[in-house]
Amino acid sequence: MAMERELLSSLFKKPATLKYPFEKLEPPKGLRGKHEYDGDKCIGCALCARVCPSFAITLKGGPGPKCTGLTVDLGKCLFCQQCEEVCPRDAIWLTTAYELAVLKKEDGILNFDRTPPPPPTPAKKEG
Amino acid sequence: MSDRQFVIPIGPQHPALKEPTSFYFTVDGEVVVDVEPRIGYNHRGIEKAMEVRNYIQNLYITERVCGICSNAHQTAYTGAVEEAGGIEIPERAKYIRVLFHELERIHSHLLWVGVAAHEIGFDTMFYYVWRDRELVMDLLEEISGNRVNYAIPTVGGVRRDISKDNFPRWHKVLDALAERTNYYIKVASTEQTILDRAIGVGYLSKEDMIRLSGVGPNARCSGVPCDTRKTAPYLLYDEIPFEHIYVDNGDVLGQVLVRVLETLEAVKICKWVLDNIPEGEIAVKFNPMQKLPEGEAVYIVEAQRGELIHYTISDGRNMPYRHKIRAPTLGNIPSLVERLKGGYIADIPITLAGIDPCFSCTDRMVFYDEGKDRSWVWDEEQLRRYGLEWYKK
Amino acid sequence: MGRGAATQIRIGVVQEMSLITTLIAALVFPGLSFILTYSLYAQWIKRKAAARLQNRIGPLHTGWQGILQPLADFIKLLVKEDITPAEANKPVFNAAPLFIFALPLAATFLIPIQSITNLWAWDAVASFEGDLIMVLFLMSITVLAIFLAGWSSGNLFGAVGATRVAFMMLAYEIPLGLVAIGPAILARSLSISRIVDWQVASFNAFLTAPNIWGIVTAMVLFIGAVIYTVCLLAELEMKPFDMSEAETEIVHGWQVEYSGKKLALLNVGHDVKMVLAAALLTSLFLGGPAGPVLPPVVWFIVKTTFCVFIISNLSVLFARFRIDQLISGAWRYLVPLAVLQVMAVVAISGVI
Repeated sequence: MAMERELLSSLFKKPATLKYPFEKLEPPKGLRGKHEYDGDKCIGCALCARVCPSFAITLKGGPGPKCTGLTVDLGKCLFCQQCEEVCPRDAIWLTTAYELAVLKKEDGILNFDRTPPPPPTPAKKEG
Repeated sequence: MSDRQFVIPIGPQHPALKEPTSFYFTVDGEVVVDVEPRIGYNHRGIEKAMEVRNYIQNLYITERVCGICSNAHQTAYTGAVEEAGGIEIPERAKYIRVLFHELERIHSHLLWVGVAAHEIGFDTMFYYVWRDRELVMDLLEEISGNRVNYAIPTVGGVRRDISKDNFPRWHKVLDALAERTNYYIKVASTEQTILDRAIGVGYLSKEDMIRLSGVGPNARCSGVPCDTRKTAPYLLYDEIPFEHIYVDNGDVLGQVLVRVLETLEAVKICKWVLDNIPEGEIAVKFNPMQKLPEGEAVYIVEAQRGELIHYTISDGRNMPYRHKIRAPTLGNIPSLVERLKGGYIADIPITLAGIDPCFSCTDRMVFYDEGKDRSWVWDEEQLRRYGLEWYKK
Repeated sequence: MGRGAATQIRIGVVQEMSLITTLIAALVFPGLSFILTYSLYAQWIKRKAAARLQNRIGPLHTGWQGILQPLADFIKLLVKEDITPAEANKPVFNAAPLFIFALPLAATFLIPIQSITNLWAWDAVASFEGDLIMVLFLMSITVLAIFLAGWSSGNLFGAVGATRVAFMMLAYEIPLGLVAIGPAILARSLSISRIVDWQVASFNAFLTAPNIWGIVTAMVLFIGAVIYTVCLLAELEMKPFDMSEAETEIVHGWQVEYSGKKLALLNVGHDVKMVLAAALLTSLFLGGPAGPVLPPVVWFIVKTTFCVFIISNLSVLFARFRIDQLISGAWRYLVPLAVLQVMAVVAISGVI
């Protein structure tokens, strides 16, 4: 009988259930969610790929100045934020977007692009 | 085994177990006569995975040994690596690590109270306790960015700082948690149906507990004072004023008492940390590709379920040569078997849940040949071959 | 208000009109269709009440506030695969759910709800002297069917659940019968409809001339109602007495191997048992479908909803007992109390 008072008072209180997805909670500022990438700041050092515990980040076009972007496999990602911490130019960071469910595995791979800077020598190279 | 006895398998899938384990109970009517445990269903090869990743990547592998002791594993891992490499962490980092250690203890013990209530059929208390657990989970999410697997300790310190502006609000959350915990203590000690299911159930005396080497709250409920935070202090625990909680009930009621009183102590420690934290740096710089000097270290922490040991050997590279984890539930299984014998079938779930089992932490693999008193391990190649042959049969 | 006519057996009477009337009463209202619909509604009341007491919402999206959820669950189970284990005793395994569904349904035909010929009178589909004993008998046979259901399922957990149900019957059957006899003694009749009539008559008499014996009778009957509610919780296998289908110990107990259509029948059977239990509580202690102004069926619904709410409240308030604690507790507390209550009723009935 010990919880009877609490039970009866719950009849008059608002239920503790959140009617998701009709009502949504505001995520806190530091939530580790989906990645965002700024191609202009990235230098292609590949530190993010080397430090990722689940090898979820791969560089397109190879490391270095000719890198053409990143792919982040959200299926493998642990959302540990180590890539953001180790990046020397703040080119990749985690936002608070947490609704990341997809129907096919391929849709869960984020594709980020970067235009590599023009080469310093006058010799013709692919842009 | 007489004619009246038969064998009931509990597990590996069973509503009483939160993680896969198998127990074969020999019962006579409703009384349990013998128990045979089989563990190993949750073996994932974590220690092998840690040998091919560098120290920063391994932070997140250790975290995922267990979902609810994740911060305890990380604290022990970073402590072992720092001791092996001779790295000193700043004072502020120690305070933040203690804060998370204790917040996770509150989280885990509240979860346990809910699960124990569910095992005896008291779903209402289960729902209410987990509703109040959301207070501490929201707090943890706000500070660390995630509700479980907080990934706060790193080699050299901690990854995120806490801001003094939030302290008054966090004090209020901690006070609310203490008030709700006191309410649940009142309910558990006055509700006759809970007392009927908890008193005298799964009793184990202090001598038996010492003989079977139990650890953690499981041992402390039988009167063995074995809290590592008091007997072998680490981080700041030699300076923090808190009580060493142990009772001499020895049964499920003792388990409940030890854990809720520890929750109240953890709230006190968190408030002490918030009041006394010094300013300063939060981490020493540690490059992910940095090589650790040769050495080995053992680091013992008091996880929520008992004494957790991490042992690391470094051979001078940026990856560990060997990292061994001894989880507390492995140490609790012999005493669990003794508790179950002589009880009823109806007492099996609550006795199992009473030791707060975390079988995800438990499964390492070692071969022990009792006849020849010899133990050995297999490497990956032998394991693969054995697996392929087993499935061909 | 009262039952218009006779008190003799009403099924199979000679005239054509009453045969058709009886058929309509048995099949549509207040018989089969009404009881089935009402049992789904009772399940909704139980789920909503339990949810609100536990600070949750309960069913929400199917229909207004989830009132169609029990129907949706029933239809869902009908389309699922129905597996019979290889080790099960197939004839018994297949037949048991039918009995568990049909026997309580038959018992509800004996409870006065509403007359279909007269809007302001109440009437059971069939009533005769001794139908109270018939109802108690049908409830006991249902327990036998439950035991056979669990025992024939070829599963260890089913056998443990079945034996637990049989043990539980040892505990609650006697107090249940004893306190049910109390109102019968006062009404000088073993027919539930007569008991309801007596309650209405004595309540009206009390209103015109209040006296101490009326209050004493009410108090004694209240104690009887409390004991009866506790025994009903054990019979319905609801907490704190659901050890026969304890989810965390024996994984759903005697129902463990049932799936698909048979499980749907079992669930509806459980709801019909709940309606029967609430209706019995109402008829024996709360005055049945009698009430001012509104037709009896409305009062029946109001009173049984109240009973279902009380039962749900008690169900979420406690943890689960062990089987030995139930048996020792029942024989130590419930049976002596029930015996004392019956002795008090006999003493009062000698006076008034």
